[in-house]
Amino acid sequence: MLKIKFLGHTAFVFETEKTSLLVNPVFVNDEPVVPDDLDVRLIAVTNHLDETIGNAVSISNLAKSWILGNTKTIERIKAKGGKPWLLHPLEYEVPYEIPGLKLTPFQLHRTITNDEGETERVDNMGLFIEMGQMRVSYLGDTLVRGPFGSIESDVLIAPVGDQGVFPVKDAVSLCIDLQPRIGIPMGWSSQEQISKFDKYIDQFGQGTVSIPIKPAQELDLYWAAGNEFRYELH
Amino acid sequence: MSEDNEHKTVVIDLEETETSRIGELSDLEASEASGVLSVNNVSESNRIWNVRVLLNDSRAKTSYSEDILQAGEIDTGGKWESQYTITIDKPILTLTEVYDTCKTVDTEAPHWAYVHGKDNPVKITIVVKNETDGQMDNIILNKTIPMELTDIKIESTKSGVAEYDEGTRQIVWKDFIIYPNEDSQIIITGTGNVDDVDPKSAGEIVVTYRAEGQQRSGLKPDMTALTEFLSGIDTAETQPNQWEVTLECGNESDLMVRLDEAAVILTPEDGGEERRMIDEKPEAKLAPGEEWSSSFQVESKSPPQCTPEVTYTPMRVITKRVLGTVEKVPQTMPVYKIDYSKTFDPPEVNSFDKTPVEVEIEVKNAGTARLNEVTIIDNLPDDVMPPKAEHVSIWIRGEEYTGEYELVIDPEDQNPEVPHQITIHIKGLKDSVGEVQPGETVKVNYAIMAWRNRPEKEYPSPTHCKANIFPPGLEAEIASPEDGHKLGIVYKKRRISVKKAINKGANPGEYTVVLIVENKGEVTVENVEVADWIPMGFEFVSVDPAEEAPELSNVADGTNMTWKWTRMNPGDKTKLRVNVQGEGEYERREPNVTSD
Repeated sequence: MLKIKFLGHTAFVFETEKTSLLVNPVFVNDEPVVPDDLDVRLIAVTNHLDETIGNAVSISNLAKSWILGNTKTIERIKAKGGKPWLLHPLEYEVPYEIPGLKLTPFQLHRTITNDEGETERVDNMGLFIEMGQMRVSYLGDTLVRGPFGSIESDVLIAPVGDQGVFPVKDAVSLCIDLQPRIGIPMGWSSQEQISKFDKYIDQFGQGTVSIPIKPAQELDLYWAAGNEFRYELH
Repeated sequence: MSEDNEHKTVVIDLEETETSRIGELSDLEASEASGVLSVNNVSESNRIWNVRVLLNDSRAKTSYSEDILQAGEIDTGGKWESQYTITIDKPILTLTEVYDTCKTVDTEAPHWAYVHGKDNPVKITIVVKNETDGQMDNIILNKTIPMELTDIKIESTKSGVAEYDEGTRQIVWKDFIIYPNEDSQIIITGTGNVDDVDPKSAGEIVVTYRAEGQQRSGLKPDMTALTEFLSGIDTAETQPNQWEVTLECGNESDLMVRLDEAAVILTPEDGGEERRMIDEKPEAKLAPGEEWSSSFQVESKSPPQCTPEVTYTPMRVITKRVLGTVEKVPQTMPVYKIDYSKTFDPPEVNSFDKTPVEVEIEVKNAGTARLNEVTIIDNLPDDVMPPKAEHVSIWIRGEEYTGEYELVIDPEDQNPEVPHQITIHIKGLKDSVGEVQPGETVKVNYAIMAWRNRPEKEYPSPTHCKANIFPPGLEAEIASPEDGHKLGIVYKKRRISVKKAINKGANPGEYTVVLIVENKGEVTVENVEVADWIPMGFEFVSVDPAEEAPELSNVADGTNMTWKWTRMNPGDKTKLRVNVQGEGEYERREPNVTSD
């Protein structure tokens, strides 16, 4: 069974009996959404922006958990005090594998507006997570779908923001194309975005179930009798 | 004695007048009555005096407070009058008008509003009923025909004659009588056209009538009076001390007189108790000049002392009638009309993309009548995925409507390759949330998915809205042009490229072919297919990333490699490193990329 816990914005914990993975312990309004003392085996950060790195260093230092990210992200985390022996840079399209987890990063990108008011492209690492006999496509903060447009997944977690990442329509469109079993929106900045995602997936998803998960909610995924997909939201 | 009708008699006349007003829907609003009681001395030569009109116990529901009216003296040919009011609850003639704006649709109740902008087939049915046991005549009915009506025809009259005067726009129906407790009817038809939504007058009705012999009060008047009348006693001795006493009366007037009481009282000569020797109530009707007498025998030494007592009165007849007027207040006929608006949010979508679009259609009651049902027919073009039925929401007065409605999506699927028609029929509002009042709106909202729309193509989404009242008649309609409500398509340039490099591998005969496929355009492309070729003598070994293995097919001069991707967003780039191995010259051919 795979347990997915939503902590806010783009922060998720993926947990099985064997291991656990925290993705993007972000800051929202300069406040962490993940407690420093979260006991987690791995931390993955999908880009080098400070708001995305959040309190990854504090969590890692306490839990002695590995931090994964692309090279630029790892450098930034090191600069922020991350223990070098706990940092592990990932190469795009090269799987990272430990018992109970296979993580394949793919290169995506988002845009931000820099201090000069110019639009700047920021590399973002999309994660294809295989845990607990489930396949999860976690896109992070992305404006493009990249190879995720053709990777079959059980769960698709996509942004539905409005600043440099997928607008609702692109997240919906990806769900329609991929037809995952479950579509989860993240990173929304208004209730309307999440409502629309839910509504459109319900209407046009052709089998995909929208689960607009709320902070602190947990989603359990498992195969009943080995082949029947089941989920429970707590 | 003479019969009453051969000679003149005093006439007591009751002429009562009733006036009624009935409301727009033929409901009685007011009814009042008054009367004139007159005593007419028809004599040509004789006065009557000491005239008293006796109402006895019949003055209930009238304004009279006394049972006896003192009329005094009435000269020859003269008249005495008294006016009174009567309390009534309804007239003796009832009038009903049914003004139906849509005779072509049979319903239990009539249609009560015009539809704007159409020919309203109007039928007016007017019924007058005699509620009495007597005949009514001299009935004249005037119906004002509204300005909105043309092609006026009098379809039928049950009796009488009816004519339409175009100059005065009046129908005059007359020359008929109505027998007791029966009715008569006129049916008028016309075509109503209204070009604004102000409520219209359906035209008033005034009917006048006369009911001879009828009265609204319960008055049963009688009369006593005096006129020129001769009476006296003739005393004649027939034998010694035997007397015959005769009371003689004679009508000296030209009126019929009724002798009610005749008595003679004898005073005995010895001073004993008086005796009534004649005591009759003959009720004798004496014609002019006619006499009446009665006698008795009495023994008396001296002429008997007799005193006569005579009571008479000129005879009277009672005539009565009711004159009536009923005015019907014109029915107010509202007008039903609808307007609508339709919006797409966003109003335009990128070409070749999939974009959810919110559709909102708002139908407004732009008339003055209440609406009981609204129908919206929306046509969706191809390259649009329609909604599911359960995702269509309806709002009335800002509240989501959960009452009865029918929803049909034809065809009943979500195939974006074919056009769809959505029909939403909201009915029975009267019994659910109440009819849609003037100015209120019915809003329908649903989402569609714009599905890879092409920039060179137009996507009209015409809409047709209808509404009706209760009971339903002609529908108020409004529709867009056939090519109306186009979904805007923003042209985004497509640009997809594939680049190729052939690098030698670590060992002889090994090569690495690098293919870089990139969407450099402004729009997402779908069904991307990249094809490259491996020359004869070489074979495919592996690809990096491994999950991007190509589809291989052998051809005469080598092997074709094909990759397919469902979709590439703008900026997406895929790099493939294909390892091949073989012998000979590695010929270069350019790769090919295609997409939708």
